[in-house]
Amino acid sequence: MIAAPAAAALPSAFAIEYNPYRLIPRIEGEYLHVSASNFSFLTGKPLQRLKDGASVAFVAQLIVSDTPNFLIPNARAVARFAVSYDIWEDRFSVTKVAEGIEQKRTIAHQLAPAAENWCLDNLAIHRSDLPVDRPFYLRLDLRVEDPRDQPGVIGDSGISLWNLVEIFSRPIRDHQDRYPSWTAGPLRLEDILKGARG
Amino acid sequence: MSPMFATARPGRAASFRGISLFLAGGLFFSGLARADQALVRAMAESNVNQQYLVESVSLAGVEVAHYRDSRLSPSLRRRLSALVGVPCDMSAISDLADKLRATLHLQEVTQHLTRGSSPDRIRVNFDFIRRDAAFDLSVPRFLYESNQGWTAEVNARVRLHDQSLTAGFGSNGDDLVERFTGFSTRYEDGHLFSDRLKFALGVEGYHDIWNSASRQAVLGEGAQTGVNGLAADASKQFALYRSRRNIAPAVTFELTRELSVSVGASFESMEMEAPAVTGGDASKSANAATGEVNFGYTREGTESEQRWDAKYSVRAATRELGSDYVYRRQEVSLRYKWRHGKHMVADRMTAGTIRGNAPLFERFVLGNSSTLFGWDRYAIDPLGGSRMAHNSVSYGRQMQQTTAEVFYDTGVVGEGDRLGTLRHSVGFGVRQGIFNIAMAFPLFEGRIAAVFMAGMNY
Repeated sequence: MIAAPAAAALPSAFAIEYNPYRLIPRIEGEYLHVSASNFSFLTGKPLQRLKDGASVAFVAQLIVSDTPNFLIPNARAVARFAVSYDIWEDRFSVTKVAEGIEQKRTIAHQLAPAAENWCLDNLAIHRSDLPVDRPFYLRLDLRVEDPRDQPGVIGDSGISLWNLVEIFSRPIRDHQDRYPSWTAGPLRLEDILKGARG
Repeated sequence: MSPMFATARPGRAASFRGISLFLAGGLFFSGLARADQALVRAMAESNVNQQYLVESVSLAGVEVAHYRDSRLSPSLRRRLSALVGVPCDMSAISDLADKLRATLHLQEVTQHLTRGSSPDRIRVNFDFIRRDAAFDLSVPRFLYESNQGWTAEVNARVRLHDQSLTAGFGSNGDDLVERFTGFSTRYEDGHLFSDRLKFALGVEGYHDIWNSASRQAVLGEGAQTGVNGLAADASKQFALYRSRRNIAPAVTFELTRELSVSVGASFESMEMEAPAVTGGDASKSANAATGEVNFGYTREGTESEQRWDAKYSVRAATRELGSDYVYRRQEVSLRYKWRHGKHMVADRMTAGTIRGNAPLFERFVLGNSSTLFGWDRYAIDPLGGSRMAHNSVSYGRQMQQTTAEVFYDTGVVGEGDRLGTLRHSVGFGVRQGIFNIAMAFPLFEGRIAAVFMAGMNY
């Protein structure tokens, strides 16, 4: 008698897909913040450029949507981060790029995990933008923004159509600068608030 | 060819559509460039390594003082050396990397910082990346002028080591008496025995479309030939052609980094519209020996920059080369540009003369995007002239990424000993990068007529 419901529950338990890139939401004050599993982006080619002394820009986007395909976002937060690497201290420095000086924030002397988490902490969505009466989904996208590609469009030979095609096809072509999307959901605001209260 | 190229004079609706398209396109590309520059600045300013002093600067692993390349100007060398001993300025390093890429014709220049001899010092090395093979598809020139319509080119270029092949097509209603539409190909070898010796071979084919004013003028010239007994060559000179082909080999000697000399030939054959006018020949040739001297020099100061450019060209067509036309065409142009902070002043002088009977594509035209802007070239002289002098002076002021300009053009075009009327025009425009929008006012007596122009690389 007990075995029957247990057997029925087994397939549904296996149906829950394992997500290695999971977002964990939390409410701090009036804002929704996230932390992420396996969140590491100071790696590979961008890291090599940083160790050569160059600055590398990253664009992060956190999206809230009613639907799991994120076709119609309810709200989004976008931030640009300029990262550099102190070649004497072997530590990272991160600046959140903003139009106004008062919005600009910087952190220095950080190891890679701390610098990465600081970026995540600086990406937040106001609580009033979250759906109150229905479940929603969260997605975090991250990509390297390489400004050196853009001047190549306009150069000595006028407008380079070839470089333009390269820029727009880059996310597909260059796997080294691509990161996975971190997701969560369906979530309910009240559940997140309960989690915050403990 | 696309319908765009076939339209010599678009209607008003097409004009507005074209202007809107250009503005949208210009804003899109300018937006790309502007967004990029803001990010580059933000990245440079926030780089943590700016706290360190630069101990040394090297190019491809060789210290600047010992780096040997004739293309590296003394001023650029000075700017590189000036990085040493001061805090690491990533913005300046990034600018210099771009300058090196353009000057040395490299695919990419990347900067590498390494630890110096003590903990407050770093070394800067510029790494050069030059791909052995490259392909590019580009729009080198694009122009809309409310009087003469569209001018546009599209080029595809393949480079393998020092050799390149460029193939392009386009329609040009700006440079010559006629609108010419067709293809051009060019093979270049940048290393013929030495880096200072280059070889090029151009092959072009164009279909020519004539303005009604030019046709009327040719008829008038033909009638004059019959009445006052002008030489038969005169009528041949103004004969219209429906197409032309050109093969032009040339060798260029780079005597110094600033001075180069080219010698070559041009074998141009034309398919005539009315063979009867030219003695029954369906085609005529204008084969010429060609020569060109180019000089360019830049002097860069801490806040100012001066640039001098000079060019002399000669084309001599003779019977010995199998030419039906016998003439000598000479042209000289001088350009001076001075930039100080956000201010820029430029002067450009051009003069030319033709002796003998040259075909119409050789004749001088005033009243286009680069000379007497605002004037209708067909109102000045529908067949162009055999003598010409022109001067353009402009002042520009940079405002953020945009430069606002005012200019004053004056010029005269004439025939033989007869010089025409000295004409003037004034105008203003806005330039961002290679994009330009301008409005010009030809100075008539008693009335004002404005001409609008939008384009890039002119």
